[in-house]
Amino acid sequence: MDLILPYIATLAIFFFVYNILTWGLNIQFGYAGVLDFTFITFVACGAYFSGVFALGPGQKSTGFEWILGLSWPFPIALVMGALAAGLLGIVIGLIAVNRLRSDYMAIVTLATGTVIYGLVSNYTPLFDGFDGLAGLQTPFSQWLNINYNQFTYLWVGFCAVVMVICWFIAQRILNSPLGRTMRAIREDQEAAEAFGKDSFRVRLIAMSMGAVLAGVGGALLMGFIGAFNPAGWTSGETFVVWAALIVGGRGNNWGGVVGSFVVAVLVNEATRYIPPIPGNATLIPTVRNMLIGASLIAVLWLRPEGIIPEARRRFYQLPLLPGRRTPAEGMGSAGS
Amino acid sequence: MPGADAFLRVEHLSHSFGGFKAVDDCTFEIARGSISALIGPNGAGKSTAVGLIAGALKVQSGRVFFDGQEVTRLPAYKMARRGLLRTYQVSREFPLLTVMENLLVPPPDQRGESLLNALFRPSVGRRQDAALASRAVDVLETYGLLPLRDEYAGNLSGGEKRLLELARAEMANPKFMLLDEPMAGINPALIARLDGHIRRLRDQSGITFLLVEHNLDVVERICDQVVVMASGRTLAEGSMAELRQNPEVVRAYLGGGLDERAVG
Repeated sequence: MDLILPYIATLAIFFFVYNILTWGLNIQFGYAGVLDFTFITFVACGAYFSGVFALGPGQKSTGFEWILGLSWPFPIALVMGALAAGLLGIVIGLIAVNRLRSDYMAIVTLATGTVIYGLVSNYTPLFDGFDGLAGLQTPFSQWLNINYNQFTYLWVGFCAVVMVICWFIAQRILNSPLGRTMRAIREDQEAAEAFGKDSFRVRLIAMSMGAVLAGVGGALLMGFIGAFNPAGWTSGETFVVWAALIVGGRGNNWGGVVGSFVVAVLVNEATRYIPPIPGNATLIPTVRNMLIGASLIAVLWLRPEGIIPEARRRFYQLPLLPGRRTPAEGMGSAGS
Repeated sequence: MPGADAFLRVEHLSHSFGGFKAVDDCTFEIARGSISALIGPNGAGKSTAVGLIAGALKVQSGRVFFDGQEVTRLPAYKMARRGLLRTYQVSREFPLLTVMENLLVPPPDQRGESLLNALFRPSVGRRQDAALASRAVDVLETYGLLPLRDEYAGNLSGGEKRLLELARAEMANPKFMLLDEPMAGINPALIARLDGHIRRLRDQSGITFLLVEHNLDVVERICDQVVVMASGRTLAEGSMAELRQNPEVVRAYLGGGLDERAVG
């Protein structure tokens, strides 16, 4: 019991965090069709900035240096991390979404992310370079006297609360006229522009809101682990989130839940606790990546729209003005 | 000078793709409240001209006046906001949106499209949607598409997609519709319905129309004014009856079509 419960709690935290991440990518790609191949950069942005807002000042003499170091309470640091990621989303959006489409957009996001990765891991005054941030006190420890296991359970609850807030953000955008316009732009950007939709502005909103959720997820990871460095956000991590979204089903947030459970929790995180096989240290990580790739291929072959496809919006869900008669069924259909 | 009654005026418009001059010093004007046609052989530059007017292509040289104002090089979405609506040679429905949703996208000034309203005041968008949906029901009924309202637009037949394009266009409340081959690939019965809708929109809502059209029967039946393009230039302007007397036009384009009709 002493081992199983914390293990399950840890998986629950990863599940909740990956839910938030897949919803974020869903806003960018599933709603608005933005091919963001550097999603993990926004996660890292949230983790780093929540870290430097919550950590004490870094000191060059001790070998730890980073910007800010304000020792703010973690919930506020989390909000700052999310905002920083949202701003970065706008910046990368300005570069990638403006004038570029589909594959070009994807390549530019990837390239921009690589530039940022190189900068952050080599320029130590920012986030201590390749060593990264470390030594974050467990959040809430200044108010509560709890041991590490108790903190894990507390963090499950905190992540759940944050996740519910993120769910409402994602759902409200999806079900609003803004979400409808995003989906129209995803389907046919040029046609949407011919109806007066400023596709650049709308895609920038999608990019930025997706990045905010990514930043929230990153901050939750930072708070849980207490450390973050470039080894944790290699570009391969982006594709774990992508695989989760494609496998689960894009364009709806339940698909994101299923995908993050199957891909991110069952395959990616649960297998991290299997002890390495002696003499074959890299076997498990390799099999893990193969499983993710195989699940992606299987879904694209057998059920390309994902396990849970985008829901069709039925008209009776739309409220009619009072006094409006119900449209008669069974009228003659249009010609041809 | 642009005539006071010209809704659209194109002056010395030129556009090349690489070395190829698709539109070459093209000038014409379209009268307010008219249904006009732009005809010409394949490769005459009609669709390029449409793209230039609608802002989908950047004008390289020449000027465009729309509703009394210069609009040269305005991007497509700004042209749309000024009341221009264009359709494409192929239907450009939003395939994974339902027919109903396809009609709810075009209306301008949707307050629910603001992020703050979407996040914090969803009722704003819902209330406006209710009014728009109510109107969309009327429009769908007019076009006979109401039973298909919950179908994915991508699943409609070719003819139904053409009707949807026009229904969607009507929802945008435009002043000017620029239709690129709206009758392409549909059967004669549906053509009659479509041109009926076009005339109704002109008469009821005062919308000015410019149609790129190859079907000269349709042009003859509903268009007041015809612009003929060939090799990127305006060859002639006038009514169909006048153009038939124009030997240059007959040589460039009308020849075959006229002979066929004379025989048939």
